[in-house]
Amino acid sequence: MPARKGKRTTGAPRQAAPRKAAAAVQPAARHRIRVTVNGRPCEAEVEARTLLVYFLRDVLGLTGTHVGCDTTSCGACTVLLNGEAVKSCTMFAVQADGAEILTVEGLAKDGELHPLQKAFWEDHGLQCGFCTPGMLMTAYAFLKENPHPSEEEIRIAISGNLCRCTGYMNIVKAIQHAAQEMAAR
Amino acid sequence: MAIGISIPRIDAEGKVTGRTPYPGDLDLPGQLYLKVKWAGRAPARIRRIDTSRAEALPGVVAVFTAKDVPVNEYGLIYFDQPVICGPGSKPGADVVRYEGDVVALVAAESEKIAAKAVERIEVEYEDLPGVYDPEEALRPGAPQVHPDYPGNLLCHYRIRQGDVEAAFREAAVIVEGTYRTPFQEHAYLQPEAGVAYIDEEGRITVVTAGQWVHEDRHQIAHALGLPEDRIRVIYAAIGGAFGGREDMSVQILLALAVWKLGRPVKIIWSREESIIGHHKRHPVTARVRWGADREGRLLAVEADVIADVGAYAYTSTKVLGNITMSLCGPYEVPNVRADIRGALTNNPPTGAMRGFGAPQALFIAETQMNKLAEALGMDPVEIRLKNVWREGSRMPTGGIVPEGVSIAEVVEACARAAGWRRTERGWVRPEAPSSPDPMKRYGWGFACGFKNIAYSFGFPEHSWARIELHGDAQVEKAIVFHAGADVGQGAHTAMVQMAAEALGVPLEKIELRASDTAFTESSGSSSASRMTFMAGNAIRGAAERALAAWRNEERPAVGEFTYRPVRTFPFDPETGFSERPNVTYGYVAEAVLVEVDIETGQVRPVKVICADDVGRAVHPINLRGQIEGGVVQAVGYAITENFLVQQGRILTRHFSTYLIPGIYDIPEEVESLILEHPDPLGPWGVRGMAEMPFLPLAPALIAAVHDATGVWFHAFPLTPDRVYAGLHPNRVPGGRAVHE
Ligand code: FES
Ligand code: FES
Repeated sequence: MPARKGKRTTGAPRQAAPRKAAAAVQPAARHRIRVTVNGRPCEAEVEARTLLVYFLRDVLGLTGTHVGCDTTSCGACTVLLNGEAVKSCTMFAVQADGAEILTVEGLAKDGELHPLQKAFWEDHGLQCGFCTPGMLMTAYAFLKENPHPSEEEIRIAISGNLCRCTGYMNIVKAIQHAAQEMAAR
Repeated sequence: MAIGISIPRIDAEGKVTGRTPYPGDLDLPGQLYLKVKWAGRAPARIRRIDTSRAEALPGVVAVFTAKDVPVNEYGLIYFDQPVICGPGSKPGADVVRYEGDVVALVAAESEKIAAKAVERIEVEYEDLPGVYDPEEALRPGAPQVHPDYPGNLLCHYRIRQGDVEAAFREAAVIVEGTYRTPFQEHAYLQPEAGVAYIDEEGRITVVTAGQWVHEDRHQIAHALGLPEDRIRVIYAAIGGAFGGREDMSVQILLALAVWKLGRPVKIIWSREESIIGHHKRHPVTARVRWGADREGRLLAVEADVIADVGAYAYTSTKVLGNITMSLCGPYEVPNVRADIRGALTNNPPTGAMRGFGAPQALFIAETQMNKLAEALGMDPVEIRLKNVWREGSRMPTGGIVPEGVSIAEVVEACARAAGWRRTERGWVRPEAPSSPDPMKRYGWGFACGFKNIAYSFGFPEHSWARIELHGDAQVEKAIVFHAGADVGQGAHTAMVQMAAEALGVPLEKIELRASDTAFTESSGSSSASRMTFMAGNAIRGAAERALAAWRNEERPAVGEFTYRPVRTFPFDPETGFSERPNVTYGYVAEAVLVEVDIETGQVRPVKVICADDVGRAVHPINLRGQIEGGVVQAVGYAITENFLVQQGRILTRHFSTYLIPGIYDIPEEVESLILEHPDPLGPWGVRGMAEMPFLPLAPALIAAVHDATGVWFHAFPLTPDRVYAGLHPNRVPGGRAVHE
């Protein structure tokens, strides 16, 4: 089993694999951007047309942010940009220059899972889990704005995220549960 | 007690932290990127294919065409599909039959270069006549889609039982109908992807997402002309499957490239490629006639069913077998004459999807039942209870229904939960609410069904497991080896629970090693609602042996077991008789409350009550998750998912046009009733269940719309335009046709 991006495990060769330069096709203009991702500042050169999601996945190796569609429909790629939930497949990396980005990998603090992560785990807010990072990030941004939401408000909040497995019921429950946990703190 | 409780899923932590890799999250040093050149059209003969301009592009390492594939064919039932279409391999492989045929495969240093190279491949086509309507395809003189299937007929099942004509003469009521069911796309959220490399032992190793590692290995070995032990298949986390990963997608392409080039390779399909590149649920057209006596007892069923199997067989022969045995519902019918035919067309191939033919068959059967009830002035629950299988009943295909028949209990439980009452005059449906808004109408609908568990019709069904007990005086660790795939349903968590239960050791001591052909034998596919049932029996057998070895002081104590359930039999080609087509069944019933906006044609499921006999619930919360997910996927099938194909070309190629249910589309409430009537063959009584909640939704919903509006819809999805046209046939040109 090969290792996933950004991590090395035994038995499986792996390296950070930034996308090979596209020089062979046509030299594209590159831009230097500075962003803070999950609290860590980083600087990189990207092509003008590189989407934020591919910058996160392929350049930084943060593959917890998923790609489920090509029409801004599914929300699997949702991350926080300066505290706001955005679909990272629908903006360019250069547009994020100077921004603070939070991905699913940055949700846990000091080895402690965020209440949302715990709730999705304990309340079975996932099956295949492919939609989960996007759901978590959407819910995270939402609960910051609305810490005591009604069920209806939760439904509205995640209406831009698709899940093919769960039927959404346990996802709503998990978010409700997390909101209670967070309020109790 | 390790089963019957809802432990945290063993895969959840990795999934909520983003650490769990799905196939597209994997990378290998020095990997090349693969990109497919799709036919993008159909049908045609490839006269010539020129890859030189693509190969000349710096960064392109290879362009593979048909001539590069040693045994250029694959397919789960028949090897009838070229891995790559084009001249230079086997006869007939030079023809593209639908837009998702592969014409070439590029390997390049970057994805971008690979994409550029694909554009530079020049293909010279010679147009061939196509056929896109399954009924036309079966007419004499229709263009021949595939040389292996003369007359475009893939298969023809028949049921001939009793004297149908005489029975119809006696019938007090006869209900006839023509029904059409739509395509459905699996739309698992994770598009096809994978990597391949040569492992330490020199094996061609493919890491991807599928449903059965050993079948993938078999298909790869066949196409490459290599022995199976040269191939290894591993599953990363699987982002949903629903039958859509049962057939090959990227597996053989990855293996071919790594084998030819010796360098690691990677591929990711876009959503559009995923939609083009894998099969769909079969659209079906059925003309049926059912007769009953005055008491509502079924006398006869006559059916003529044609399914569109698309350009290749996939698992269509089996899906149509399932349609055959589900066509009369879970009812005793003494006289049956049915013909079920699969027709090849130049449409996208169709195959396995959750329910495997049962959703289509039960939509027809259950709508017929509801119409019979209406014709007799009888309650839909009442008429069902008069006809459902009991212990010892015979199926329409002749054999006795396997022991553990619980459909009557399931129907009653569901009906009561929905508010049905049993009175002196029989069952009475609940009053649907009324709305102050005159445009909003409410109605209740009811339907039920059954689903076979495990592979059928004579398939040598089996599932393997191995358990190693480590420790000294006490078991410190139990390692469970099982090949089964966790496609998201939670199979691996259930396996750990069942192993702990069988061994009598705490859950924490179980370590599962799954989904890698390097250290497992075949445990079969994650499909046919079979995994918990089959794996449970296999694990139980292995546990018994491991415990015996443990008592024998062996350390580690090892137990290996292959579970083989009772034998099943194919249908007789003339009469359809089968002593036992399937291993066993699970039973389901659903009641649906809908709101119909007669002004806009909008149909909203308000409440769904789903009763499932699961035999024994290994993990109740996961089970409810399956029910809710299955119901919502079926709501998509019934209302929102309008998969459009025009002259073989898919029009709904993205999630922006193919609308799977979002949270606004789901019922306000899904009430799950989990019943536990043990299956005599199931481990701890377990039956499979993952498909059942899907099955009765469409017919129950359509009955509810009828209850609300008085109009029967014989086709779906119930998109607003179809509903509007059905409700107001005079306001819409062609209005009648739309709902029929
Ligand atoms: S990947 Fe689907 S919305 Fe971004
Ligand atoms: S859990 Fe599979 S898509 Fe949501």
